[in-house]
Amino acid sequence: MGDLYLESRLDFLRKTQNSDGGWGYFPGKHSWLEPTTYATLALHGTPGVEPTLDKSWNLIRSWQTAEGSYRPSGQVQGGTWITAHVVTLASVRGVYDDSVRRSVDWMLSVVGAEHNYLMRTAAAFHLLKTKLDVSHAGWPWREGNAAWIEPTTHTLVALKKIAGKYQGAELAQRVREGEAMVLSRRCSDGGWNCGNPNVLNFDLPSYPETTGLALLGLQGRNSAELNDPLNVAQKFREETKSSLAKAWLTIALRCHGRNLAAPQGENKVSSDVMLAALEALGHPDGNYALLRTGGPA
Amino acid sequence: MTRRQFIPLVGIAATASYASIKFQKPPKLPDGPVGNSAVAIIRARSYSEDLVSRMLDGVRQTGLDVRGKRVLLKPNLVEFESSTVINTDATIIAAAVELFHRLGAAEVRIGEGPGHRRDTLDLADDARYRATIPKFESIFTDLNRDDVSPIKGFADEKEFYFPNTVLGADLIVSLAKMKTHHWAGATLSMKNLFGLVPGAIYGWPKNKLHYIGIPRSVAELSRHFRNTYAIVDGVVGMEGNGPIQGTPKPAGVLVMGHDLVAVDSTCCRIMGIDPEKVEYLRLAADLGHVHPGRIDQRGETIASVQTNFALIDEFASLRLA
Repeated sequence: MGDLYLESRLDFLRKTQNSDGGWGYFPGKHSWLEPTTYATLALHGTPGVEPTLDKSWNLIRSWQTAEGSYRPSGQVQGGTWITAHVVTLASVRGVYDDSVRRSVDWMLSVVGAEHNYLMRTAAAFHLLKTKLDVSHAGWPWREGNAAWIEPTTHTLVALKKIAGKYQGAELAQRVREGEAMVLSRRCSDGGWNCGNPNVLNFDLPSYPETTGLALLGLQGRNSAELNDPLNVAQKFREETKSSLAKAWLTIALRCHGRNLAAPQGENKVSSDVMLAALEALGHPDGNYALLRTGGPA
Repeated sequence: MTRRQFIPLVGIAATASYASIKFQKPPKLPDGPVGNSAVAIIRARSYSEDLVSRMLDGVRQTGLDVRGKRVLLKPNLVEFESSTVINTDATIIAAAVELFHRLGAAEVRIGEGPGHRRDTLDLADDARYRATIPKFESIFTDLNRDDVSPIKGFADEKEFYFPNTVLGADLIVSLAKMKTHHWAGATLSMKNLFGLVPGAIYGWPKNKLHYIGIPRSVAELSRHFRNTYAIVDGVVGMEGNGPIQGTPKPAGVLVMGHDLVAVDSTCCRIMGIDPEKVEYLRLAADLGHVHPGRIDQRGETIASVQTNFALIDEFASLRLA
């Protein structure tokens, strides 16, 4: 049963690759970097895919901007948070060249816009409508915007994976700051939402998918410190109605060494390429370990 | 305290006092476009009523020709909370699909790009959209992850991307929910258009819109997309700490019309909110009508359906006198 679960998803990914080497979010759509990254990771190391994954990699590399960031697709100008995915993929492929170094430099140059003197002053005087700790630097979806959990955790994974190659103390400092930012945004119910735990004195609930992502970004931290959120994640995984959240939680929990049963009777493959890839990654025989990182750089 | 430390504090204080002055004496609203706007208030006490007939009534009273057009229905799909009233009810969307087919639309699609949750299809499943709306999956587009094209001139941005499904529609129907909102005061047909912005580019939440400014973004979306029609689901709305954590508030109405500013202003009055104090309506007052004298109220009168929605302290000042 477990094998069929994994094989059906990998087969779906093989069949839905676009002729340019990438994947759309849905079959037949333009290639985007996000589903292409996850499909590539899911298929990594499977027999006979090397030429097609090389084609994917070449497509991805063609989307790099002059400043080192990556565009989310060929139709979109300007780099975004998605740059982290390319660095992670480069690390998996064992590539560390000038192009990757420029991407890392770009990531290190980007800071959530709320992490500035004015906002910190406003926070100190309780002038913000949210109870955000803006003293830690995370990463935004797009340069010039505020930091949120998801782009921060993807960047943490990328920086931790590439840390051994990159020369410079700034990377370790930003990883520590990014982790502190994630920890500071934990919701009162024990998990994480997009990154805003309280608005106008009302506590907001956490989401299962962002809880999984936050834990992925916090790999390598003291296990006692993460025990409670990992238990929250495990409960979320049992209860969530979101397939995407379940996939992220599965990957995160496995990366943290939690023992999870193989999926049973869930062989129907979604038309959502990214979901199919994440489900394949999270299978016990899947490539989830490619997203495993060490601790703080 | 150094001069460098002091200056930002002066800035904050100045902004706060300006906001206060602005609130106490709002400038006069612009006149709005030529002519009056028709807005229909249709009574619908429950989701088990014949909603298609109710909507047809609203369309007749406001006028709408969709023959041969590609219609995109944009519901408000927000959260995995099927037991609450966060999302536009599935029966409203199913009725709208049937309505626009009956009216002769060439194509009726449904599209949504939720602001916080990425798993749009499962979200739709949980909200009973798949179970209630025939052939749902074949007519639904996740606008967060659709292919996109750039447009120029949106909110002074050099380039801004929108889903091709949105740009290809002849008519966008905002199937909004009547709710209070902890940032904007109220979320209705105009604020619902936030879901047209693709998360794959702008994130979850669509933080770029926050930096443009929520009221301004709401107004700019209405300014850019003029091919719109509104059907607001006020059968059961949400009061208090909306748009997610509030409580159900039956208002027993559908509010419909071409002029989204006039529809939302009417909804506000039904909810006991002064639309002239809602910032995004003020910013959009050149696009449509806020003033009651410029809105031709059809169907029920506001007075006959008006029911005060509870407001959080932050927005208590919006209460209609």
